Amino acid sequence: MSTSAATAPTAVEPIFNTKPRGLWSTALRRLFHRRSAIVGMIILAALIFVAVFAPVLATHDPTKSLIGVENVQKRQGPCIHLLGCPTDQPQHFFGTDGNVRDLYSRILYGARLSLMVGIVSVGFAILIGSFLGAISAYIGGWTDSIIMGLMDIMLAFPSLILAIAIVTVLGPGLINTLLAIGIVSIPVYARIMRSSVLSIKQQDYVMADRSIGVPSGRILFSNILPNALTPLIVQGTLGIAVAILDAAALSFLGLGAQPPTPEWGSMIGQERNQVFTAPHLIVFPGIALILTVLGFNLLGDGLRDALDVRQRS
Amino acid sequence: MQTRKISLIMSILVLLGLLAGCAAPAAETGAAPQAPAPQAAAPQAAAPAGPFEPMAMSAENCDYGGLFKSIEAVDEMTVKFTLCQPDPAFPAKVAFSSFAINDADYLEATGGGGELIEKPNGTGRYKFVDWLRGDQIIFERNENYWGEKAIPQTLVFRWSAESAQRLVELQAGTVDGIDNPGPDDFAVIEADPNLQLKQRSGTNIFYIGMNNTYPPFDNERVRQAFAMAIDRNRIVDNFYPPGSSVATQFMPPSIFGYTDGLDWYEYNPDMAKQILEEEGVLPGFKTTITYRDVVRGYLPNPGIVAQDIQAQLADIGVTAEIVVMESGAFLDAADRGEIDGFHLLGWGADYPDATNFLDFHFGPGSSAQFGNGFPDIWEALAQGATKADPAERQPWYDQANELIKQHVPMIPVAHGGNGAAFKADVEGAYASDIGAEQFGLMNPGGRDTFVWLQNGEPAGLYCADETDGEALRACEQVMESLLAYEPGTGDVVASLAKEWEANADLTEWVFTLRDGVTFHNGATLDANDVVLSYVVQWDASHPLHVGRDGSFTYFPGLFGGFLNAE
Repeated sequence: MSTSAATAPTAVEPIFNTKPRGLWSTALRRLFHRRSAIVGMIILAALIFVAVFAPVLATHDPTKSLIGVENVQKRQGPCIHLLGCPTDQPQHFFGTDGNVRDLYSRILYGARLSLMVGIVSVGFAILIGSFLGAISAYIGGWTDSIIMGLMDIMLAFPSLILAIAIVTVLGPGLINTLLAIGIVSIPVYARIMRSSVLSIKQQDYVMADRSIGVPSGRILFSNILPNALTPLIVQGTLGIAVAILDAAALSFLGLGAQPPTPEWGSMIGQERNQVFTAPHLIVFPGIALILTVLGFNLLGDGLRDALDVRQRS
Repeated sequence: MQTRKISLIMSILVLLGLLAGCAAPAAETGAAPQAPAPQAAAPQAAAPAGPFEPMAMSAENCDYGGLFKSIEAVDEMTVKFTLCQPDPAFPAKVAFSSFAINDADYLEATGGGGELIEKPNGTGRYKFVDWLRGDQIIFERNENYWGEKAIPQTLVFRWSAESAQRLVELQAGTVDGIDNPGPDDFAVIEADPNLQLKQRSGTNIFYIGMNNTYPPFDNERVRQAFAMAIDRNRIVDNFYPPGSSVATQFMPPSIFGYTDGLDWYEYNPDMAKQILEEEGVLPGFKTTITYRDVVRGYLPNPGIVAQDIQAQLADIGVTAEIVVMESGAFLDAADRGEIDGFHLLGWGADYPDATNFLDFHFGPGSSAQFGNGFPDIWEALAQGATKADPAERQPWYDQANELIKQHVPMIPVAHGGNGAAFKADVEGAYASDIGAEQFGLMNPGGRDTFVWLQNGEPAGLYCADETDGEALRACEQVMESLLAYEPGTGDVVASLAKEWEANADLTEWVFTLRDGVTFHNGATLDANDVVLSYVVQWDASHPLHVGRDGSFTYFPGLFGGFLNAE
């Protein structure tokens, strides 16, 4: 992350000389001046494109075995006609897997799943977490102690272990994985929200509202929350990467998405013993995972630099 | 200030809670090693004293449903078994490692469980030394062995569920032999001059089980329809290694009891679909495919095969969800008849006879994995098991196989070819068709330690109460039965009994024990050891009928039933 910071300073212009701009447009400008953030955005744009148009881009049904349909062996390596693969062999960009399914199509559909898992579980965690954090900070006292005590207990467990425990109780499956990852990410957002609200609560404009008798709920939702969003956005973007990795890990262990669902982690898990005899089955889903996580991390870092006023040089 | 106090109190409470949580199991584990210690000391002092008092046990009559009438020690070196019905396979059964002979004093001292499961005390080529749970089991050469002594001084059993890891360890030279290389690795091993591949013929069966107590599997036509819906050729052709064959019946071809010319239902998905629609199962039938994610000789690719079956069922409109269970929990649930839907399981031969396959799975003493038994199959099996002449037995097994085809308690899929791989310098390396390799007979290139890497860790080493081959193989290094199977051929040969004979109608079997055989704890083998070893299994009310979980699955499977069972 230090490397991306090092390339940045030349691009930043002093804002005093320009016309005053809103917080968001300034942030966006700054974001587009960060090369790493742009790379991240390009990766994610490609990923979202793939996820949305998977049925169009895919060459085969991702869950359909091609035994008896095509003359193709299981775990066959990639065959691309343009790159010299004989044209009498059926074309498979990434080869076939152990059940003679087209790996390329499976990876495309896997993008849908991973994005869905990341966004839904983090969205869930942000909703619940920020609600708890905001209440905790705004009310204070007993409520604060209890909620934050609970959050601290949850943080004491390694998140993946806690997720495994939750999935074991709820039973394996995609929905339960979403839920488990969502639950274990709640404390992070609760804490961030709490600290933001605590500092904003003391700001003059909040004091002013309070002194003229604006109801607490309205102060919280219309004045405090919008101003506390910035760190949540940054953490959420980074959190999606972690959630996708956690979901892949759970699926690798057989606790997440169930077969024949094309999930990257379970694809790697199922073929783990073929790492020497058919490495393409491990490499391609692995690359897909790496790219996705990298994309979210780069964007998240870029967002942090762009949105965090204090960090500016 | 108040909130700070509260949070302080809360964090102290949480800490205390955590401490209490940790302390409870810690206290248990702390106490555990101390409790059995006095027991462990007892068997060491097992010196025979006083005149020999022959033990005996007999059933009042044969109405309890089992095979045994009585077991008695005729004199110090002679044991006599009286059976309720003739049993031509009796020698093959007593040679099996579940019926290994224990020292009577050791059985008493361990209370039939506990130490008996952790520290086996036998007469075999190897003495048990230590079991590092989760890591390895160490055996040492028995210098007082009555027969040909073991070649490697030390034998180490290790395990890894991942076939890729097993192969890597063999290639790296950290182990001398591995079990069940992955199907795709056969070619790799054969091409490697430093390794040798020993194949087992497929004396096993992989089947798709159905429990007939769960609708719609209680309907025979539905089960027959599913039998037509599975393309077994496709599974074997695509997912099984060389040396495998498509199963036409439950019995493997090389084992007595196989019916020549019997063929399974022809693959016919359209007909299957039509029947299922007629029976009201389709459309919209949802079920499960349950399996354990462990590699066995009969199922080298569990996950892949499960998904292929799922895809085949989807082709006829059946939605099947895949459920993976932990191996032990899966076997227990299957045996108790708790698995609805399809379950993927298999069986490898323990001894080459139909009783080992058919009686164990479809006899009156079998487990509940297929639900309620079929009395007409019982009848055929009872007839087959009590005839002395193989030519007389065969027609009954033909009938049983035919009935199994009609009732479809399961769909036989494959006889899986599998094998073991060794370093090229291991002399005398072999892979036993019944998975009973004796590592003492192999010479690992002059090294004094032989390291064997198998699929899984044994659940226990008291093999009267184990069914998993991973446990049986470990027991077989330490324990011996009255008779044994010749390595390679599987023929029954003398072991602890130097000779044996039966009366004309095969109901009385007399075994004469070998002289001067000592257990690893120093006790001398006598007829009472044999009697007690059998009685603790046979008599369900015996105080030593304890075991690991008390199921003693093999005994009722092979000998009909327990005495005094509830």
